[in-house]
Amino acid sequence: MESMYPGYNVLDLQDEWDPHTREIVNRRLGPFTFKLLSPWEQAMIKAVAEHLICDGREEILEWVAFHVDEQLAKPFGEAQRKPGVPPQKELVRRGLKTLDLWAKKHFSEAFLKLDASRQLQLISSFQQGSFHKDTGWETDVQKEFFKKVLGLVTEAYYSHPWVWSEIGYGGPAYPRGYVRIELGITDPWEPRRVGTNEGS
Amino acid sequence: MKDRKFGKEEVDVAVVGLGAAGSVLLCDLAEAGLRVVGIEAGPFWDPQNDFASDELHAKTLAWNDTRLSTGQDPLQLGSNNSGRGVGGGTVHFTGVFYRFHPSDFKVRTLDGVAEDWPISYADLEPFYAKIEQDIKVSGPREFPWGAFHGPYPYPEREPISGNAQVFRKGCEALGIKSTVAPLAILSAPYAGRPPCTNRGFCNQGCMPNAKFSTLIHHIPRALKAGAEVLSDCMATRILVNKGGLVTGVEFNHNGRNYQQKAKIVVLSAFVIETPRLLLNSACSQFPDGLANSSGLVGKYIMPHSGHDVYARFEEEIRLYKGTPVLAVSQDFYETDQSRGFVRGYSLNAHGSRPVGLARLAALNAGIWGKQLRELMLEWNHYARITLVGEVLPALSNCVTLSDEKDEYGLPRAQVSFSYGENDRKLIAHGIEKCKEILTAAGGQPALVIPDSAHLMGGCRMGNDPQTSVVNRFCQSHDIPNLYICDASVFVTSGGANPTETVMAIASRTAGHIASLA
Ligand SMILES: Cc1cc2nc3c(=O)[nH]c(=O)nc-3n(C[C@H](O)[C@H](O)[C@H](O)COP(=O)(O)OP(=O)(O)OC[C@H]3O[C@@H](n4cnc5c(N)ncnc54)[C@H](O)[C@@H]3O)c2cc1C
Ligand code: SF4
Repeated sequence: MESMYPGYNVLDLQDEWDPHTREIVNRRLGPFTFKLLSPWEQAMIKAVAEHLICDGREEILEWVAFHVDEQLAKPFGEAQRKPGVPPQKELVRRGLKTLDLWAKKHFSEAFLKLDASRQLQLISSFQQGSFHKDTGWETDVQKEFFKKVLGLVTEAYYSHPWVWSEIGYGGPAYPRGYVRIELGITDPWEPRRVGTNEGS
Repeated sequence: MKDRKFGKEEVDVAVVGLGAAGSVLLCDLAEAGLRVVGIEAGPFWDPQNDFASDELHAKTLAWNDTRLSTGQDPLQLGSNNSGRGVGGGTVHFTGVFYRFHPSDFKVRTLDGVAEDWPISYADLEPFYAKIEQDIKVSGPREFPWGAFHGPYPYPEREPISGNAQVFRKGCEALGIKSTVAPLAILSAPYAGRPPCTNRGFCNQGCMPNAKFSTLIHHIPRALKAGAEVLSDCMATRILVNKGGLVTGVEFNHNGRNYQQKAKIVVLSAFVIETPRLLLNSACSQFPDGLANSSGLVGKYIMPHSGHDVYARFEEEIRLYKGTPVLAVSQDFYETDQSRGFVRGYSLNAHGSRPVGLARLAALNAGIWGKQLRELMLEWNHYARITLVGEVLPALSNCVTLSDEKDEYGLPRAQVSFSYGENDRKLIAHGIEKCKEILTAAGGQPALVIPDSAHLMGGCRMGNDPQTSVVNRFCQSHDIPNLYICDASVFVTSGGANPTETVMAIASRTAGHIASLA
């Protein structure tokens, strides 16, 4: 499926953003220095993320993996966890290993070597927690692993300015806010669907 | 801890937690001439340099330390409900500013469930009015529900967003009353602050200061009146003497412990940390924790059910534009026996930004991969209504201490929550109404994302020391110089966003404490 806003680039507006926000958003374009995850773990996160967000662009996946690394490296930030589920750093790292073990057991191939449909099949089983017996992981813990990665990956992806442009999001809005907020009208700098709302 | 103002002295009052309630207390008490110190775990925010127009960055405003969350409907904590830093939850709240209705204070009498509050609407009425004036709440000329019918101090917001327009159109078609939202957001300049610029980032911290927070209103006033604010100071223990009175607060700053002596201690650390601190302060005089002779510290916590209903429209709605909530209805607020459940809810037309929508769709509705990408590519065509549903109190919904410790060596909180039968029926009714409204406006209902919002209860007020933790002035039944004053004293949750009620209770409590001095 295609963007309804081809040609719109939210980054073109960045001179209108406050310096703090501008710095935060531009950091998402790299380069990235990882603190925690090994190259193999980074590759695994990217491979899983590609399925979760349905997008294989390397630059974006690199940012997504970096965000996961940054969050897991912090001692805080989990907000909540179910009793019996390991802390997020351990949960994700062990989850990635288990995924690979499973790939080897079922398809005799490392996860990263599998074709897309097999990878997706394994990821989906994690979502359902159906790996119980062989992995030694409780159903609940598997589901939590899936949800943890899904949450981190999704929030990173929808924080990438390229993605903002594609979905037609106006992006940061300070100091400039919006004047035309009612139905059918847009401020001149907002994304417009081709052939619609000329900002009247 | 250099340059302490009251470091060596016994202050009149130490307030723990400077959120909605704590900051009001600090301000009112300082202005009444008391010597007060506020102890806040999080930073002293500077909106211009600490906030950003960015959802991911805004996670730093929340209480992100781990809590264990369990039950049939485990709560999402963190930015979903818990603020951290001077201003607490008001820094990232949406600014919807409702009074409770008179019926909310006597649910037992009227509906035969839950408990009555030991105070009535009339007890809070003067404080509601004062706070609305103080912070210049904007709202409609006529508010059709509850006991207060307007006008609000500042005119209602105008224009309203596409999402709010669609909501009002659907309501009108069905004969449902709706209004522009009452908001703690300026519609005209006040005290050097500008009116709202409709940037829509209220949950990320308002950078122009158009939205009220206690950080920008009550704290500056408190400081001017001589209060001391200690930020980045985590209270770890309430100190008690042999006579069973509290003597002060122990807190940790940059890894070192300090003590603040006080004649009176007020806990305003919100629904999870307040009970946790009381339980973690257990000592030989109070082995089950402070103020806990009833065994009810941490019990009867309540969120609001906060389900989001989305519909797709042919035209663009653009959920990201404008103050998130600009139109509301409370037509379904009061009990209507014909519906098969008691109590009710508010409906808020509620904007969104990409991360908020995508994350909840993924985590709470199981939408990911291609399906999520397709949804988001069209997200500008979706409108949304959010339920604020009353949740009845249940003993089993509670905060307890877990076996796990945090970095201070204190047991982490465990939070258990499950909806009851009445709650589920109410949610189903609310979702149906949202769908009807969106359909009547020309939309196609597309998606329901289960969610919850706000937290209340855990140290409820009451007249009977056996069935409540504090009295009608938020004074603990067990320890006369220990007060608990924040959202945790709520007896029932009401069907409306709670912060105006939190602040009204705080102001009333401050008046009471000042009158003792
Ligand atoms: C995203 C979001 C949107 C919301 N929107 C609305 C809305 O539109 N309308 C509305 O009415 N309400 C809204 N709320 C709810 C509102 O934020 C709360 O009702 C309100 O903040 C509760 O006030 P409080 O004083 O009880 O606690 P808080 O405001 O949470 O303050 C508690 C403070 O105590 C501090 N603290 C905790 N433990 C300690 C400790 N041990 N030592 C020192 N300090 C400590 C915390 O850091 C925090 O600053 C929203 C909340 C969220 C999260
Ligand atoms: S919408 Fe208005 S109140 Fe909300 S953050 Fe923006 S300027 Fe502040």
